[in-house]
Amino acid sequence: MFPSRNVLKLIVLFFPASVILLTACGKRSMEGMLIVTEMKGLNGDPDYITGESWRYLPQTRLIAIDPEDGDKAPLILTSGFFSARFPEVSHDGTHLLFAAQKNQDDPWQIWEMELAGLEAHQVTNSSENSIDPAYLPGRRIVFCREMVNDSLKAGHTLFTCNLDGSDIRRITFNPATYFAASVLMDGRIICNSRQIYPSIEDPAIMALRPDGTKAELFYKGEVSAELFGRSWETTDGKIVFIEADAGDSGRKRLTSIRYNRPLHTRNDLSSSLPGDFLSVFPASNGKLLVSYRPGENEPSALYEFDTEKMILGQQIYKSAEGNIIEAVEVAIHEKPRKLPSELDHEVKTGLLLCQNINVSGLKPSSGKYSLPAADRIEIIGIDSSLGVVEVEEDGSFYLKVSADMPFRIRTLNSAGNVINGPGSWYWVRPNERRGCVGCHEDHEMTPANRYSLAVGKKPVAVPVHLTNISEKKVELE
Amino acid sequence: MRRFALSIGTIFFLALLVFIPFKKWARDHVNFKTAVDDHPLLCTNCHLYIVKDGLIARMVNREYLSPMNITVSGDGSKIYITAQDGNALIIADALNDKVLNKIDVGQKPYGVIIDKTGRFAYVSNQWSDNISVVDLGTLKVVDSLATGNGPSGISFSQDEKFLYVVNSYSSDLTVIDLASGIESKRLATGSNPTGIQLSPDGKDIYVTARRAILVPYGEPMATELTVVNGESNRIKDYLKVESAYMMENVAFTPSGDLAFVTLIRPKNLVPTIQVERGWMMNHGFGVIEQNGAGRIIQLLTDEPQAYYSDPYDIVITPDGKKAFISNSGVNTITVIDIDSVKALISESTPEMLELWPDNLGVSSRYVIKRIPTGNNPKGLALSPDGKYLFVAEHLQDRVSIINTTTLEPEGTIELGGPGKVTVPRHGRRLLNNAGRTFQNQYSCYTCHPDEHEDGLMYNMASKDMGRNITNTQSLRDISDTPPFKWNGKNQTVFKQDGIRFSTVLTRTEQFSYKDLDAITSHIMTGIPYPPNLQFNPDGNLTEAQLRGKKIFERTTDNFGREIPVNNRCVTCHPAPYYTNLKPSDVSTLAASDDSMLFDTPHLNNIYASPPYLHDGRAKTLEEIWTLYGKDDRHGLTSDMTKIELNELVEYLKSLRSPDYDAKGSEIQKASFKR
Amino acid sequence: MKKMLRSTSFKSAALIVIVSGAISLGFILRETKQESIKPMAGSAVSLPDAAVKRADIPGLPAPDDESKAVPLYGNWKNFTSKDGLPADKCYCVRIDGDRVLVGTHGGLAVYEKGKWKTYTSKDGLSHNGIVSIDVSELTGDVWLGTLGGLTKWSGGKFEIFNQFNSGMPNDLVYMVICDGRDVWCATGGGAGHYNTFTKEWEIFTEMNAPMHEPWTYGISAGDGKIFIAAWGGGIIEYNTKTKQFRDYVDPDGFMEIDLQPDDGVVHDITTATSWADGILWVSTYFGMSRYDGKYWKGYFKEDSGLASNFINFLRAEGPVAYMCTDDGFSSTNGTNWVTYRRNTNDANGVAVVTTGGVKKEIPQTPSIAHNFIIGVDGQDDVIWVATSKGVSRGERLKL
Repeated sequence: MFPSRNVLKLIVLFFPASVILLTACGKRSMEGMLIVTEMKGLNGDPDYITGESWRYLPQTRLIAIDPEDGDKAPLILTSGFFSARFPEVSHDGTHLLFAAQKNQDDPWQIWEMELAGLEAHQVTNSSENSIDPAYLPGRRIVFCREMVNDSLKAGHTLFTCNLDGSDIRRITFNPATYFAASVLMDGRIICNSRQIYPSIEDPAIMALRPDGTKAELFYKGEVSAELFGRSWETTDGKIVFIEADAGDSGRKRLTSIRYNRPLHTRNDLSSSLPGDFLSVFPASNGKLLVSYRPGENEPSALYEFDTEKMILGQQIYKSAEGNIIEAVEVAIHEKPRKLPSELDHEVKTGLLLCQNINVSGLKPSSGKYSLPAADRIEIIGIDSSLGVVEVEEDGSFYLKVSADMPFRIRTLNSAGNVINGPGSWYWVRPNERRGCVGCHEDHEMTPANRYSLAVGKKPVAVPVHLTNISEKKVELE
Repeated sequence: MRRFALSIGTIFFLALLVFIPFKKWARDHVNFKTAVDDHPLLCTNCHLYIVKDGLIARMVNREYLSPMNITVSGDGSKIYITAQDGNALIIADALNDKVLNKIDVGQKPYGVIIDKTGRFAYVSNQWSDNISVVDLGTLKVVDSLATGNGPSGISFSQDEKFLYVVNSYSSDLTVIDLASGIESKRLATGSNPTGIQLSPDGKDIYVTARRAILVPYGEPMATELTVVNGESNRIKDYLKVESAYMMENVAFTPSGDLAFVTLIRPKNLVPTIQVERGWMMNHGFGVIEQNGAGRIIQLLTDEPQAYYSDPYDIVITPDGKKAFISNSGVNTITVIDIDSVKALISESTPEMLELWPDNLGVSSRYVIKRIPTGNNPKGLALSPDGKYLFVAEHLQDRVSIINTTTLEPEGTIELGGPGKVTVPRHGRRLLNNAGRTFQNQYSCYTCHPDEHEDGLMYNMASKDMGRNITNTQSLRDISDTPPFKWNGKNQTVFKQDGIRFSTVLTRTEQFSYKDLDAITSHIMTGIPYPPNLQFNPDGNLTEAQLRGKKIFERTTDNFGREIPVNNRCVTCHPAPYYTNLKPSDVSTLAASDDSMLFDTPHLNNIYASPPYLHDGRAKTLEEIWTLYGKDDRHGLTSDMTKIELNELVEYLKSLRSPDYDAKGSEIQKASFKR
Repeated sequence: MKKMLRSTSFKSAALIVIVSGAISLGFILRETKQESIKPMAGSAVSLPDAAVKRADIPGLPAPDDESKAVPLYGNWKNFTSKDGLPADKCYCVRIDGDRVLVGTHGGLAVYEKGKWKTYTSKDGLSHNGIVSIDVSELTGDVWLGTLGGLTKWSGGKFEIFNQFNSGMPNDLVYMVICDGRDVWCATGGGAGHYNTFTKEWEIFTEMNAPMHEPWTYGISAGDGKIFIAAWGGGIIEYNTKTKQFRDYVDPDGFMEIDLQPDDGVVHDITTATSWADGILWVSTYFGMSRYDGKYWKGYFKEDSGLASNFINFLRAEGPVAYMCTDDGFSSTNGTNWVTYRRNTNDANGVAVVTTGGVKKEIPQTPSIAHNFIIGVDGQDDVIWVATSKGVSRGERLKL
């Protein structure tokens, strides 16, 4: 009886052990393969505002190919979907995140697939489209959701949520549209952003923390240039993406910038090549995976691109069905930093400090950086003025602004005439503290080590008609 | 068999009875200590790695060398390295990458120079207040020259008749007449100086300073660069370097047209509300024109999204084309193209030159390479032909060699330290590295140079901006003085450096628990006070200090009235750390402070921590009472004469770590007396 | 008055204020007195200094004992606020190499290459009233004793030491001297000693030294000793090696007169002291004393060439002492005297040479800036004299 118990124990132990073993093997099974977005046709001009014919493409599918064996038939991953794209592989290389339309008339949702068993589970479940997902550390993701009748007049907006779809949180709060989110190694999110109200402006890459704080300009291209796809950070400190020329040609160039100085290090890697680059992904071998088409009417295929020699390498995969529009590699890669959050949702406001409204950035041609002196600011909301605030003698102001409310600032002189602005939209998150050097300041300026007179006083509440804000009192650390 | 099974079962049951409540108690205990509920239940974290002395401490720790500064022999065949923790001068073969000799010198050797004959090396012993003169023929210490307090950088006069020694603790420059070996004069310098350089023509001696001039919070900060006339050995000038501090070292171009000094531009007057856009610390260098108007132009080596913290040493190639800066906090050597710096300066308007120090993008004009190194690069030295750069990797026990033409590493010299990286050593590396701060903008060392404090007041803005200004506190020997922070809200260092630390200060991913345990281990065990050689070298107090001690311990005032117990110095500041570890109100709460009590600070080596009080309002110990203690709530002093107050201050200056009462002689044994 | 001085510390504090105004009070008294003085005989005859011959002047030294001679100065050049001084009232003067530092009531004036440059509290001085200046031979640092603290001027930087931020005894600094690595100052709250190497302060008052009051007015160094002119306490000698004190007071104890001649310092209220060539010179408001280590000798206007018994300050250089009085400027080697005095009604004056009771007046054109003299310093053949109406520069006349 005693031995038979042992046998029983062994059997009981054997099954989970074998399951773990098999699962472990399975997890490694797709490493090195490429997951590619394939599309039959590629018609219509992209609409960079709504995403039509650009982010939203019909009948795209995700397939897995072995770059070592081009003849091997691709493994179709999303056969059960009307359209699927935006693949991203988890940091441990075991899961695939993507957006898909189950049926033709369904909204796009975010899905995650375990690569071992090719089992997909739906992450989001909303009546609006959710696209462009990216993994965040801490089993959360960021994605773009289409907003309908949004009170903030936003187009597509960034959201984060847990991998099971819970704890969904909006993190951008301005009348702009956001596409193609990506996560930097420093833990911040970068994505293509464009103001759409009151006027439509050129796109830019914005960077912000996953809690929606400290949103700032990361990259802005030449006038009217379009940001065509998603940006990816390389292991050698660059950000690569596709930028489309202004005008009808709209030639889509493979572009890189340096992480350390993104605003002034644009490099057109494809300058010597004709045709269009539709997407880019930094492979683990240091090369870039690009989807490229030599001419507008030719199908796009998957190639390797050598950034050192700036030449197109061998073709990796060409679809018999149509175009290759995206590709990612199944590989283990470093997890970005998990940034702490200063948010406190029991606090209804955030604080904003400006050092000197009359500092407006260096203009190297003249060396001048000061504008005619302004002595007050007007804070402008979506559809009304939120008040006029006099600044201190040193040009500083200190505001306590209702959280998650978009606002712009313009500077005025004592006669009430506009000196500068309004600039781009700002928002502060609950309990966020942020600062700026000046108005429209040079984005590479750091603050002077100067005590601002404004912080010697209580912050001015905005909207200014707010006399009493009932919120949690923040304790001293 | 059944009895066996029964007894096993009973033992198991009894063990469970003990284990379950013990585990719950342990969980509660660790939760309290760490202020989180998921820290691993590892008894070793506290009960092994934060033990300061005894067998366990000896088991946990190793004796590291920690190379600090380097010099190269005239023929380039040998390099001489001061081993700060090894208390030795190490001689290595520069051509064959191997250690030749290790010569014991004084405590914490800092700088080393070789005379023109190549026969003698002069080593400054920062914790012995002297210079070891080493005969490089016999490899013996043949003399010891007395200096001021904390000798660091050293230099000869042009004719080698005088030796200049920078006294980093007493903030002055010792001038030694080498004919007699006697200190002939002592010249006041900027605060906490370290670096020194003789101009190529020998006419000027530049001495850097690390701490800023003491000013009330809110007033513009500046740090002094002292210029000494190399012919008269008299002070020529104190150059104010605005909005900068931590000027560790200085170098001249071979032509002598420019001097370069490393520096940090802190943002202590700006509320600490964000790290993005360089809102906490910027790092760079100052260029001091030797001709014309003698302008001081500051430029950053940082970039808009990347920071190169804690610049330490700077050297310039013999052709005057390249400057190398060791960025200790990011394990990097930054290479500067000097012609590009000159071009930028010449084409900039005065207004642009005012803006460049706060511009993060301009560094792309003159930074031509970032070269990775081992842990915590400090001292640099070039071979005489300028072809090779030697880097003292302070926390790697190694010297790395860089080709100055290809700007690529070409080898290393292992100095013979223990290979193993202990938990406290790993913690020390973390404390000295900016990798755990968003975009590497600053390390713990940046605000705690030498793991002490930087003498600045900050607006941490954890609440409203502009409120609760606090003076940086030292990390030296704090293990027995909990709680921490001025408001005493952190009961342990585990909590101090935990999640809130990353939320409000480093603003990036918090330390892993492994790293948190390591840095805590280092802070709790590895940061001793320097010996108080200036005011209490051997534990024998002067007559004035003894009279001050009586005043410190007095129970009645000068009129014979009993002083209330809670208003006696010794009540709140009892030995050995001179704190009762309790919060108190000494009527120093400012209008900009929230209502709170302040943690009673410990007083050992208090002379080295100006300014004083929680917000640094008192520039000197005297001002604590002459200006800010008039109401007698910070101890009864109004009955004292000025003589008595001076004696009390002299006694306070004499306070030192209790360790030295036990180790005093041992600490001093390598301190050679003439 | 002495009783008052020996009364409570509150009174002595009040006294500091009173006596600090003494100089100003002296100005008024003296300036009133001078109006009653008639022009001296012969002063109408104005000989150019260059024309003076030794043979004309009995008492002046023969060429062979030039080293012990009392030099005769002339060719005076006077400077006032019109010439760029921050104020006319000049308290002290110090020659520092190629430049001359003058402490005035309105700040520091520096004369270099024929031009005056001024510095005030706006530039970092602890107070504009600069009453004493000394220059460290060791470091070249300039130390300024002011009516509001001690200021160190080094490398263009002013560093302030006062009773609040340091171990300074008191902010009313009457005298500062540099003695090697040490700086000593005489203040209204005692004598202060600052060791520039160790940065430590020592204070000497009636509590730890043989003084009667904390108030000290003058201080000098020599022969390994520090000599403190302590109000009401005569001279306090402090041996820097043995740390021992010794005091020299007026043995007869009379405040009004010197009852017993040459029995010690002529009066316990001492204003300055200076040591040179083994001789200690002491000035008071009631005469002057000379001590050779064995014997004291008193000097008064009545029986010597001393311009006045009211002596604000004195300085000895070699064998000669220079006395700054309320009625002219005197110099002596203990035997011979030369006293300079300005006419009341014009810019001319005389140099009165006294030897063996014989006086000889030498007309001088111009004379010193004013007869109320407060400070003096000399180097080589040049002497500078600080007066209440400007500073005067004189040249030694080659006779």
